[in-house]
Amino acid sequence: MFIKVKLPWNVMIPAEAMDPNGLMIQRAVLIRLLDAFASKKATKDLGYFIALKNLEEIGEGRIRETTGEIVFPVVFSGITFKMFKGEIVHGVVRQVHKSGVFLRCGPCENVYLSQYKMPDYDYVVQGNPLFMNQNMSRIQIGSTVRFIVLDIQWKEAEKEFIALASLEGNNLGPF
Amino acid sequence: MSEKGGKGFKSSLKSSYGPGKDDNATKSKKTRKVQFDPQGGKGSKARKSTLSKESQPLELKTDKGLVHSATLSTKAPFALHVNICVMVFAELPENAKCLMDCEAFEILQGIKEQMAVLSEDPSLKLPVSFDRGLEYVKYGRCYMNPQSVRQILEPLKKHGVSESEMCVIANVCPESIDEVFAFVPSMKGRKDKISEPLEEALMKLSKLKRSA
Repeated sequence: MFIKVKLPWNVMIPAEAMDPNGLMIQRAVLIRLLDAFASKKATKDLGYFIALKNLEEIGEGRIRETTGEIVFPVVFSGITFKMFKGEIVHGVVRQVHKSGVFLRCGPCENVYLSQYKMPDYDYVVQGNPLFMNQNMSRIQIGSTVRFIVLDIQWKEAEKEFIALASLEGNNLGPF
Repeated sequence: MSEKGGKGFKSSLKSSYGPGKDDNATKSKKTRKVQFDPQGGKGSKARKSTLSKESQPLELKTDKGLVHSATLSTKAPFALHVNICVMVFAELPENAKCLMDCEAFEILQGIKEQMAVLSEDPSLKLPVSFDRGLEYVKYGRCYMNPQSVRQILEPLKKHGVSESEMCVIANVCPESIDEVFAFVPSMKGRKDKISEPLEEALMKLSKLKRSA
């Protein structure tokens, strides 16, 4: 699910980046903020950082005496993406194994759908490996699959989530 | 692995349903269980996590002891699904508002168009997840016009539908109210009050659906 969140951050502008006439402060703050936002891949609470929407407020700058940098407190709204347990989402299959498939759901590359959570689907090798059911419905590389999120885990070191998926329930599966 | 302190990365699915059990009889102090009161009065309190602290994979507990998982899967295939689904809305952070996929697409597409103009400036960067996020909504959204969708779903708020539930409805693109209650089980407790306005909303939404 996409989330719109309002966040207060501090943006630091080094003294050398400041325009001598002091006229381009807003631009400097925005560029630094965009840079900081872009380099922050994801957080546990908010999910993957997708886009910065609005810079709502730039507070009064304070000079850091030791470094000469100016710190501006800003408030902005951003768009993030996070999967929640129990949410119905869709993903694209990127790997097929005998035990299950790996899907990509938006920016999350590591969603695992076990064969045990694909009721009535069997592993078949028809040229390429895939899962197929009696109605000839296929789950193969490139298929888009609607699933329910069983659980998610935050990986602090990699700054990413991994998730478990399931097709148990009506209206879930490839579409 | 879960914030509740579960062990390892296992699917710890909890359910308070066993065959022939009364929902109200399965409350426990340690486990907050989903309850669907037919009168709808207590149902609104049931939007809570149902994970017990002593979670083990596929273990079902009631006040009378363990219920075999095989029994549950044949008799109540949606029971496990129901308990997980209720947890969704409990986890939204503060100052956060959920967006419908069609709304997110409109915002991200607008940013992409602006970036096409601004991309000459190398100091302006987009996050690495931007393209994947846009791709997700580009092909996955059901509706083209988020304002119309919001106008249709907004009146459901007077019947107790929350913002998050509205977003889930818009995202799963349901064709019938049975699908809505299957995908948003937190609304089941208000089935009597909400079926009619929901039916009406779905009829209007079906006209807005994006052609494949």
